[in-house]
Amino acid sequence: MILRAAFRLKAPRHIAQGAGYRQQLSCGEFTPRRPQHRRGLAVATNTGPGGSGVSNARTGTGGAGSFQIFDRHVKRLQRDRAATDTEGSRNVDYLRDEVANRLVERLYDINRSYENVLDLGAGACHLARALHRSHPDLEPFAGRIKHLTSAELSSKLLNRDPDSYIMPPDSPMKLTRLAQDEETLLSAPPSQNGLFEANTFDAVISCGSLHWINDLPSVLSGINRVLKPDSPFLCAMFGGDSLYELRTSLQLAGMDRLGGVSPHVSPLADVRDMGGLLQRTGYKLITIDIDDIIVDYEDVFALIKDLQAMGEANAVLGRRKTLAGLSRDVLIGLEGIYKELHGKAEDGGSGGGTGIPATFRIIYMIGWKEGSGQQQPLKRGTGEVNLKDILGEQGGGGGGLG
Amino acid sequence: MAGAGSKIRPVDRLAQAVAKCGAESTAYGKCIVKDFNNVYKDKCLAEFQVLQSCVTKHMGKK
Repeated sequence: MILRAAFRLKAPRHIAQGAGYRQQLSCGEFTPRRPQHRRGLAVATNTGPGGSGVSNARTGTGGAGSFQIFDRHVKRLQRDRAATDTEGSRNVDYLRDEVANRLVERLYDINRSYENVLDLGAGACHLARALHRSHPDLEPFAGRIKHLTSAELSSKLLNRDPDSYIMPPDSPMKLTRLAQDEETLLSAPPSQNGLFEANTFDAVISCGSLHWINDLPSVLSGINRVLKPDSPFLCAMFGGDSLYELRTSLQLAGMDRLGGVSPHVSPLADVRDMGGLLQRTGYKLITIDIDDIIVDYEDVFALIKDLQAMGEANAVLGRRKTLAGLSRDVLIGLEGIYKELHGKAEDGGSGGGTGIPATFRIIYMIGWKEGSGQQQPLKRGTGEVNLKDILGEQGGGGGGLG
Repeated sequence: MAGAGSKIRPVDRLAQAVAKCGAESTAYGKCIVKDFNNVYKDKCLAEFQVLQSCVTKHMGKK
């Protein structure tokens, strides 16, 4: 099942810090959005003289000879650096907090309580914070979790906030922070120097960090391994067309100024890829849906600065390595191109020519580890009700479905 | 990351300078986007040089 929805947020650039901006986010206006097309920009995979191609970056360090796309070491440094400026880092929590809140909403849909939950790629414990958010007619979800283990690559980001910032002192949930690379954390059992036995967790949740994983299949099977039978894996990850505005504008600016394209925006997994991957790595009853979160920024520099403060700067192995990867000329030209290409009111800009939109596409996934007593799909050909009869009653005669 | 009380980061000065060159920036953007399937090196060199000199002019001032 694939659902699609779009939301629009304002980057809280000039909103007073504190509780104020979070409210601003929660009442973001709701605008249905037509699917975006890429405007025939077919230069995405070309590599110019500026950088070596991503596909050339094959090194043998990953398990089973996997492709190495991202530089995990640099990613840790970027996150460490971002977290060092606590205030600046908290100011850009808006995106991760929003994603975490929406993931928690999905948790409420599963009528269960959990003993032992793993948060893989916790960032600054955004999920733990979201679990303690009170809802108008619901108890905070933390009441249904006994023990949350938050694992994160960067220990500085993980320990950015004290417990008092994350949860109330009387919280029923126990929080354990674990500074470990989420890419390799689950790959081995304790007998092979790993940390977790198989069948350890009642749920595994990952919120906004899987897009930096090199070897997704092995991480997904690792998660499947540590899950108890018939337990859910919930995940929100940035994917597909996220930041397509920035990607296309950078390509154009690079083509004109440098005569070629180098990777600035990560290659991201698509919805279809994720469905296939989950299935291949043994998950059952898979549900996937997408949210587009569109954030308005003052200008392209504000966007890039916020991405950097989130620890989301470029960590693609084949990236340019001078001046944060972006040449000065490209930066100067970028603003005009971005505004011209994407900043128009009809294209999702904030109207009036000021501000630029940035799309973040979040893929939400739920998959279950196989377990006894789990709902099973029926065998092919065993259906007793003709779908045509049901659909026919709802008007349209099923014409749309052929 | 600039610590508290330190001076403006160079990229912020660049951002401010670019923001002051709105017209030049738009002209450059229009030139590129006009035919974005066929962009080659220095396609919009003239527009860029105008933009660049404007940005350089504003970079000098605080």
